[in-house]
Amino acid sequence: MKKTSQPLKALCCLGWIAGCVSGQWLNYPTPGIPRLPDGKPNLAAPVPKTADGKPDLSGVWRINYRPYSSNIANDLKPGDVQSWAEALTKQRQENLGKDDPSSIHCLPFGPRVNFAMDATPLKIVQTPALIVILGQDLTYRQIFLDGRQLPSDPNPDFMGYSVGQWEGDMLVVTTAGYNDRTWLDYSGHPHTEVLRTIERFHRNDFGHLEITETFDDPKAYARPWTVRVTGDLIPDSDLLEYVCNENEKDSAHMVGKASDLKAVEVAPEVLAKYAGVYTATLSLGRPIRFEIFPSGGELWFSRDGGARQPLTPVSNTRFVVPGFSGAQLEFVEENGDTAALQLHGIAGDARLPRVREGK
Amino acid sequence: MRKLELLGCLALIASCASGQWLNYPAARIPRLPDGKPNLSAPTPHSPDDKPDLSGLWTYDLPAIPNAVQVDQQRFQVNLEEIVLTPEGKALQQKRRENYFPGAECLPSNLPKLTATLPYKILTLKGMVVFLYEEENRFRQIFMDGRELPKDPNPTWWGYSVGKWDGDTLVVDTSGFNDDEWILPGRYPHSDALHIIERYRRRDFGHLEIQFTIDDLKVYAKPWTVKAYSHLIPDTELLEYVCIENEKDLKHMVGVDK
Repeated sequence: MKKTSQPLKALCCLGWIAGCVSGQWLNYPTPGIPRLPDGKPNLAAPVPKTADGKPDLSGVWRINYRPYSSNIANDLKPGDVQSWAEALTKQRQENLGKDDPSSIHCLPFGPRVNFAMDATPLKIVQTPALIVILGQDLTYRQIFLDGRQLPSDPNPDFMGYSVGQWEGDMLVVTTAGYNDRTWLDYSGHPHTEVLRTIERFHRNDFGHLEITETFDDPKAYARPWTVRVTGDLIPDSDLLEYVCNENEKDSAHMVGKASDLKAVEVAPEVLAKYAGVYTATLSLGRPIRFEIFPSGGELWFSRDGGARQPLTPVSNTRFVVPGFSGAQLEFVEENGDTAALQLHGIAGDARLPRVREGK
Repeated sequence: MRKLELLGCLALIASCASGQWLNYPAARIPRLPDGKPNLSAPTPHSPDDKPDLSGLWTYDLPAIPNAVQVDQQRFQVNLEEIVLTPEGKALQQKRRENYFPGAECLPSNLPKLTATLPYKILTLKGMVVFLYEEENRFRQIFMDGRELPKDPNPTWWGYSVGKWDGDTLVVDTSGFNDDEWILPGRYPHSDALHIIERYRRRDFGHLEIQFTIDDLKVYAKPWTVKAYSHLIPDTELLEYVCIENEKDLKHMVGVDK
C-alpha cells in the first residue's frame, strides 16, 4: 500500500503545485457517460435528464474559481464594500490570511463553497426532492426541493439552509441562515448573518456547468451583486478523501504581516530582463505556465493564460503575488541571464525554466 | 406552506421555538389515525423492488443481550468473540496509553456513525449515500458493480462497494488507514481491516445493522458488532462542526494503563 498522507492539504492549499496522487477510483470508466468513437467522454453531448424530465446536474465538477476565489468583490466598485467591511478585509490581508477559518483552520467553507480553490471539486447528487452537494473535505450540503420554505428564525450555521426550485432548466437555490464566521474569499471579505445567496445552476451540455450566484448582504455591502463561474465535469473519476485537520501544519508557520515586506523600486531595465514565458510540468503531468510582462514600470504576470495581475517587488529578484497569502516569485539567474522562475508557496517550491525570452 | 407551519406550531407549541426544520412534516410517511408516524408499517421498496433504506435514522438500543456502551456508543457485542493476536495486544496496549483521534475531530470509527447521532440514507441509482450528522461527513457506497480497488490509498473510511443479498444491503469496505479504533479506547485496527456491513430495514421504522470486523493482523478471527436504529420522521439533520471551538484536546493528559 502506498500512502499519500498529508502533503495533500498543503499541496492543494496554494494551488501552485496542486495535483493529487492517483490510485483508486480516479480512473474508473463510469457507466452512463456518452462517449466518442475513441472511447473518450463526449463532454459536448446533450444535457442528461432525470426521470421527471429535469436536467440532471449529477456529477463531479471542477469549478473554475478565478478570479472570485481570491476576490469575491472583483466586480464591485469602490464604495460598494461598506467601510467596516473594507477595513476588516485590509486587516485580514495584513495578517496574510492566517485567520482564514476555512482554508487554514479547517472549518466549513460556508457561502464561498462554490468559489474556494480548496473546496473544488464538488459532487452533485440529485434526487427529485433533495439535491446533495458533496465536498472533497467529506462534508455535504443539502438543498430541499420538496416545497418547504426557508426557516423564518434559523439557528445560524456555516452552510445555511437551502431550498431550491426549477425555473425551466435552471436550478435556483436560495440560502439564508448563515453564521457570520466565514470569509467570502481568500482576501477576507466578510459577511453578516443577514447574508442571503441565490445560486442559479445551469448545465450547458454534458460536460459544462454554469453557476451564477447573487450575494445580498445589506449590512456589509451597498448592493447585491452577482458573480458567475463555470464548472467542468470530471468524468470517470471521483472525490478523494481529504481531512483538512489531519496533521494540520500550516497555521503554525503563518507568521508575520503583509507590511513586513517593504515594497522597493526596481529599475525598468531590470524588470525588462524578466520578460518571457516560464513553464514546467508538475505532478500528474499537470502543466503550469507563467507569462511575465514588464509594463508601466511594474511587473505583471499571467498564469495559465489568465488575467494579468501586478506583482509587488520586495527586492530586485523577488516579487510578492497579491492575494495569495505571501506567495512569492523569484527570478533565478544563471551565467548572467534569467534562467528560471522559482515559485515559493507555503506548500513548497517549484522551478519553471524560461522557455521564451522577451515579449 | 406557511399556514401549515403555523398550524404545526399551534399543535406543538413546545417544540417550535428552535426555528429550523426540526419539526417539518415529511412527505410519504405512513401515519396512524392520530397523525403520528406508523413506524411498524411495512418496509418501503424502491421502483426496482429492493427495500428502500432512505430516511433519517438514529441509534436505538432495545433490550438485547450483550449490550455494551463504549464512550457513549451503544452496540451489541459478544466480547468473547474478540480474540486479539499478540500483535493486536501490543497495538491495543500502545494505543490505550493516549490515543483518541476523535478528540482531534478526525473521522470516527464506522460503527460509531450509526450509534451516536442521526444519519440520513439516500438510495440512488448505482449508489447509496450516507449523510452523517457526526462531523457533517458523508460516505458513498458504489452499487454500480465496480470492484474494490486493489492498491488503495489508505483512508479513514476506506472504499465501499455494495450489493443486495435478498432484503439486506451488504457493504464491503477495505482500504482503511490504521489510525482509528473499532471501539474507541478498547479495540484498535490495522490497515488490513476489512468491514462487511449488513443493513436490513425490518419495517418502516427500524433498521438492523451488523458489522463484521475482519482484521487478521489484530484479531485471531472475525467478530461482529450489531447496532440498531429507528427512523426519526418529520425532522432533519443539524449542522455539527466538531472542530469549532474545540476544547477537549488540551485536557486529555495522562496515560491510561
